[in-house]
Amino acid sequence: MALLATERLTMRFGGVVAVDDVSLAIAPGELRCLIGPNGAGKSTFFKCLTGQLTPTSGRIFWRGRDITGFDAFAVARLGIGIKTQVPSLFDGLTVAESVALGVRRLRGERESRRLADQAMERLSIAPLARIRVGLLAHGQRQLVELAMVVAPEPDLIILDEPTAGMSGEETTRTAGLIRELNERHAIVVVEHDMQFIRSIATRVTVFHQGRVLLDDSADRVFADPRVRDVYLGRAAA
Amino acid sequence: MSDTAKTLVQIVLALAVAVAAAIGLPQVLELFALINATVFVSMALLALSLALVWGFGGILCFGQTAFFGLGGYAYAIAAINFGDTTGAVPLALAVPTAFAAALGYLMFYGRISDVYMGVITLTMTLILFKFANSTAGDQWIIGTAPLGGFNGIPSTPPFNMPFAPDQPLDPGQVFVVAIAALVSCYVIAKLLLRTRFGRVAVAIRENELRAELLGYDVRLHKLLLFSVGGLFAGLAGVLFANCVFVSPTMFSLFYAGQVIIWVLVGGLGTLVGPVIGCILVQWLTTIAGSLPHVDANLFLGLVLMVAVVLIPRGLLPTARSMLARLTGRAP
Repeated sequence: MALLATERLTMRFGGVVAVDDVSLAIAPGELRCLIGPNGAGKSTFFKCLTGQLTPTSGRIFWRGRDITGFDAFAVARLGIGIKTQVPSLFDGLTVAESVALGVRRLRGERESRRLADQAMERLSIAPLARIRVGLLAHGQRQLVELAMVVAPEPDLIILDEPTAGMSGEETTRTAGLIRELNERHAIVVVEHDMQFIRSIATRVTVFHQGRVLLDDSADRVFADPRVRDVYLGRAAA
Repeated sequence: MSDTAKTLVQIVLALAVAVAAAIGLPQVLELFALINATVFVSMALLALSLALVWGFGGILCFGQTAFFGLGGYAYAIAAINFGDTTGAVPLALAVPTAFAAALGYLMFYGRISDVYMGVITLTMTLILFKFANSTAGDQWIIGTAPLGGFNGIPSTPPFNMPFAPDQPLDPGQVFVVAIAALVSCYVIAKLLLRTRFGRVAVAIRENELRAELLGYDVRLHKLLLFSVGGLFAGLAGVLFANCVFVSPTMFSLFYAGQVIIWVLVGGLGTLVGPVIGCILVQWLTTIAGSLPHVDANLFLGLVLMVAVVLIPRGLLPTARSMLARLTGRAP
């Protein structure tokens, strides 16, 4: 059974159809990349999956259970870790406090601290534990958000443009990190950086004008001329 | 020092100051000054209620006085009807708390954004102000308690000993009750913020979306914190009714604006700061009001402007930073 699946998911804003009849399924342990140029509907699709938007029509299923219309907090409680494009953090709290909050809902205080320490170790940000999040650099902030998402050991992690604003070196490190996280979690990465996708992808779904243009292995997707066309701005076949 | 130890020290200090004030001030202050001090304490509790809701929950409630006035009116009406304040107090706390819960439900579950929340809460207290002002006449009597319109309910009964309506408390005893109420609410707020609920409330203030994406029900947390704020403000109203009397002024824009000033002057994001800010501003305003050719409202505006320019973070956070710099520790 698919971990997360959508069935004819559609999201309209007035006359604009941002997501149009999208059906896809994410298997347990899978690493799936959703790509597409700007305005392809990836982020709207991400917001529908994570409960930040209620789709106009269609269904979303989690392990076969219909979760369409769930609020974002209810989606997160199912065991879905969500990382937003611009790091969404608690600037006034320390790194350790922030990461511990990722697990505090599920565990006692001491256990939360232990799991937070583990997550910070995994992401190599343990030395930053006592620093206020608002004082960190962009790359470090991305890692803190990832640590908060990873700490409660979710079954699925959804990452919206995880390398946005990162340097080349940070992007390479993040690619390694995502492959490593995929050993324990299913991951959906929403991205438009083709170079980054090439370095992590196994299976890729291409969005164009709100629809799924292509859904295949990474090698086939990158070899497909239609993908080059949509990225270069030419009409899809 | 660990956070738990720091909280304990702060609580012990607050208790020590409260005990000293409760024992010392009734000995040295004359009757009028003591009643005035009780008013200050009730206002300080009102400031504390907003400090909790705004400073820690990030909810800008411009109409905290709605709960303050409702607490006062509910107390006065119940006390007059019951002939005993023992049952009037819990009822007077239940009314503003329930009102805050209902208003909060509509705002938080209706996904009203922060700016509109300020507008709605301010409008609410002004509606109550208008309504209370229009309750003159015989048709506005609840049981045996006339609402009194613009004049309010001047004959508000003072506290009596539990289940002994023939033993009313004297102003000195009312002052001690007020101090006990203020310090109890401070300790409750302090402990509440140490719990998981409190930490999540602070996280919501920092970033609502992130808190939600971590699985926390933001609306429920805000609603509970807002209701606790309503409870504290209602208790402040009960204390105020005991030393002045209940009138529509309790809902007025004058008080609604003042609470915001107290919190900003004392320091948003602290509990003690707004209490100090309130007492300091009230004291300065009282002195200014007694001087010839000085308008207390203009003076209040001047205090706010000076505070915003010179100490934008408020008295307590600024004092903490200065102390930390002097002792060479990071703030």
